[in-house]
Amino acid sequence: MPDNRLISIRSVSLNIIVCIKQVPHPEHFSRIKLDPLRQTITREGIPAIINPVDRHALEEALRICEELSGKVTVISMGPPQAKRALEEALAMGADNALLLCDKSFAAADTLATAYSLACGIKKLGSFALILCGNETIDSGTGQVGPQLAEFLDIPHVTSVSQITFEERNSLMIKQDIEWGYMKIRVRLPALLAVTRKVNQPRLPTVWAIMEAKNKGIQIWGVSDIGASPDMVGLAGSPTRVTGMSERDTKRRREILRGVPSQIAKEAVERLQELMAI
Amino acid sequence: MNEVWVIAEQRLGKLVNVSLELLGKGAELAQHLKVSLAAVLLGDKVQNLADELTCYGADKVYLGEDPRLRFYQSEVYANLLEKLVASHKPQILMIGATSIGRDLAPRVAAKLKTGLTAHCVELSIVRKGGEKPQLVQVVPGWGGNLMVNITCPGRRPQIVTVSPGVMTKPDRKERKGDVIMVQMDIPGELRVETLEMVQEEPSGIALEEAEVVVAGGWGLLSAGGFGPVEELAKVLGGVVAGTRPALDSGWIPEHRMIGQSGKTVSPKLFVSIGASGAPQFTTGFMKAKVVLAIDQSHDAPIFEVADIGLVGDLRDLIPCLIAELEESGLRV
Amino acid sequence: MDFGLTREQEMLRDMVREFAESELAPKALDLDEKGEFPFGILKKTAKLGLVGIINSREYGGSDMGHLARMIMIEEISRVYPPLGFCFQTGQIGMYGLQNFGSEEQKKKYLLSLCRGEAVMAWAVTEATGGSDPSKLQTTAELVGNEYIVNGRKIFITAGESASIVAFLAKTGEATSLLLVEKGTPGFTVPRREESLGLRSVPVSELVFTNCKIPGENLIGQEGRGLGLALTGIAAVGRTGAAGVSLGIAQGAYEVGLKFAKERNLYGKPIIQLQAIQFALVDMNVEIEAARWLCYYSAWLLDQGKKVTEIASEIARAKLYAADIANRVCIKAVQIMGGYGLIPEYHLVRRLRDALEMLPAAGTQEVMKVIIGTGIAR
Repeated sequence: MPDNRLISIRSVSLNIIVCIKQVPHPEHFSRIKLDPLRQTITREGIPAIINPVDRHALEEALRICEELSGKVTVISMGPPQAKRALEEALAMGADNALLLCDKSFAAADTLATAYSLACGIKKLGSFALILCGNETIDSGTGQVGPQLAEFLDIPHVTSVSQITFEERNSLMIKQDIEWGYMKIRVRLPALLAVTRKVNQPRLPTVWAIMEAKNKGIQIWGVSDIGASPDMVGLAGSPTRVTGMSERDTKRRREILRGVPSQIAKEAVERLQELMAI
Repeated sequence: MNEVWVIAEQRLGKLVNVSLELLGKGAELAQHLKVSLAAVLLGDKVQNLADELTCYGADKVYLGEDPRLRFYQSEVYANLLEKLVASHKPQILMIGATSIGRDLAPRVAAKLKTGLTAHCVELSIVRKGGEKPQLVQVVPGWGGNLMVNITCPGRRPQIVTVSPGVMTKPDRKERKGDVIMVQMDIPGELRVETLEMVQEEPSGIALEEAEVVVAGGWGLLSAGGFGPVEELAKVLGGVVAGTRPALDSGWIPEHRMIGQSGKTVSPKLFVSIGASGAPQFTTGFMKAKVVLAIDQSHDAPIFEVADIGLVGDLRDLIPCLIAELEESGLRV
Repeated sequence: MDFGLTREQEMLRDMVREFAESELAPKALDLDEKGEFPFGILKKTAKLGLVGIINSREYGGSDMGHLARMIMIEEISRVYPPLGFCFQTGQIGMYGLQNFGSEEQKKKYLLSLCRGEAVMAWAVTEATGGSDPSKLQTTAELVGNEYIVNGRKIFITAGESASIVAFLAKTGEATSLLLVEKGTPGFTVPRREESLGLRSVPVSELVFTNCKIPGENLIGQEGRGLGLALTGIAAVGRTGAAGVSLGIAQGAYEVGLKFAKERNLYGKPIIQLQAIQFALVDMNVEIEAARWLCYYSAWLLDQGKKVTEIASEIARAKLYAADIANRVCIKAVQIMGGYGLIPEYHLVRRLRDALEMLPAAGTQEVMKVIIGTGIAR
């Protein structure tokens, strides 16, 4: 980048917001059960982590602030234990953390989640950029980012693998698509949903871990963010789970156990039968 | 009014397959609801594609053409769809879950303050007593064969995304439909603008077209990598694929990942090796004709979705399988 | 009593574990085979603040304390024990300089040590016996403002990789702790011992032949060397050795446990066979007991306890941890049958490293002497 452009960007201190979500540890996915009675997922007792690609979003925010000067605020909507994810984010280097926590936020679909995050972000003040991960490893919809951008009336780009600052208030983005990519110019403020390709996240250093406890985590509820109760949580979710069913796969589920050479033979015989149908 | 819409996607003058697959399902839903099936298509000089869409089942095509829409423009597309929906009030919107579809659908849903369900594997209509018909949106749940049913009872339109390969592409029939030109109102300056789109030719056999797919998961760590998967694939004449952990370990490239955020396949034979069977993976091969699974743990969820399961160490089982296959001369 | 770790200690553990899994695990077999000192990896740990973890910030350290150090060494050793051992030994000198060194010495050496740019060795043992250091024969004669050193040290960990060596020598009747820089004429490292385990951190022989060392290189007071040397070994070397042993045991246990859950015999995973399960239970209990002995000894140091006050607690941790590490490794090998002895299964290297922990930072028998002296009073 030519020096004169860098200077003009440096004169603006960037406020960057990073949205993170706490998700169950994938090693324990098989322990997650659907509760047929309450029709919700029971995640109790299952270790939780920061959604992996969200760390890449945070890393990108930290790098931008290191190069161009600015502050990083991490925000998450979740139960009280989501504080732990925010503590990790602070240990990585974020400057401030905000947890949106309220019973009313529970059972939110992506629209209600995006609305709640938008209310929280509006209360934080002005920002230049919002970064988030492209999708979570548990629900994997990838919807909250674009919907949050809509509530904040800012442009968004998903599947971002490269971010370059062009000039004051303008970014050049590489968006990955199947078997290719798009080059996109976007004006700030904007929301970018990044993929793992964008960078390699840092590990928190001992110094940063100890520094983290000096940075507080703010906790805000529905009234603190001025949200309409009918637009958050279950009340604000247009989609509803109406039931669960067993998938009718008609699989034979024949399990063979024993000496490898033996069961391999049986397996091949079965395959011949099945493939002939 | 109350139509079923498919938001079709074209890239550089070529329709993506999933849009055609959705027309197949869309026709079924429209018929059930006794309404028209329409496709929405945006682009530059894509009139011929509009005609194609009618040949795959669309009664109508709402066509928006402008040189500035040569590439996907997120805000323009989203704003346009919002206006179209507001004036025509369709009851259902179906969007293919490509990277572009996943970029567009949530923005549109938020503009319309309506519900969006991603990665649906089944869609059907349910009608209760005097109420309006509901689209039942089925997505994979946690734990083996469990599926979750979702509806959007209070708001319209009901918006869903569906991954490529989940629905079946209908046969092409010569037919004519209405092509309705849409008024474009593109602002002079765009906040976000796509300047360039690059598409490469896919290399190798497309996973979606393979007759045999052999996929490996985390369990291959014990074998030091994908060697056994590749050997078995070779003997069976199949294509190598894998789970997300396999991708993260660098054993397969991105386009060979099976599952919810990867590819959906429906081969004659699907073999899973060393993958315990997380729903995000298993949803990717639900439609395979025959499923063979190999895993260490007898209670791995993968065995619930397999026809034949082999319990044991893959380092012992794969060589035995290969020997048996070579001897029997099994052809798929 | 609050047995919980602080949130910071938890985050430290998570960070080191992630580092170990991503950086060390894939390279473990290769590093072990090559037997090279892991300088590159050491620098990476330094950037994370792990090398100077018991040094103060003004000299480049991160000052998180002894319990933090114990956790870090355990986590590293769980994956690659030799690197844990680098910390065990390298941090003795860093502790020594921090607590006994002059301002000039601290300024001169600590920053590059905390950055992982230099490594420091701690040389006490001679042919007369490491367990009996008062009998040492290396001499340092003060002539003008220089010491002339003659003597031979053996089994000095990281001797060939260290650029700074603190060593014990007789100055007159008493012993003193002195410092020599690599490259000083008269100081050579003629050979390294090809030992069975901890192959990345080989031990070497150090030879002083009329080696002239400046008077400023005296650490602490003249004549007080033995006390300082043994304090450093107890506070840092011995606790470190306990932590390495703990990590070895934990790593070996996890390998055996995973195998037992996946290996099928007689139609079920072998962990369902009581004999196997009970063996794993024994390992589980022993490791947990060792862990608390280790953490307690480190915690006591953080509370400001003098090494002389907690000699038994420290000895107990090292004695028990090194002992069970060997037992756990052998049991794990047995659970895995033939597989346990194949290098690719990562158990053999841990067993070799466990054996090396027996004489490290004082033999098991010396640990018993320390505890015995305490109880026999």
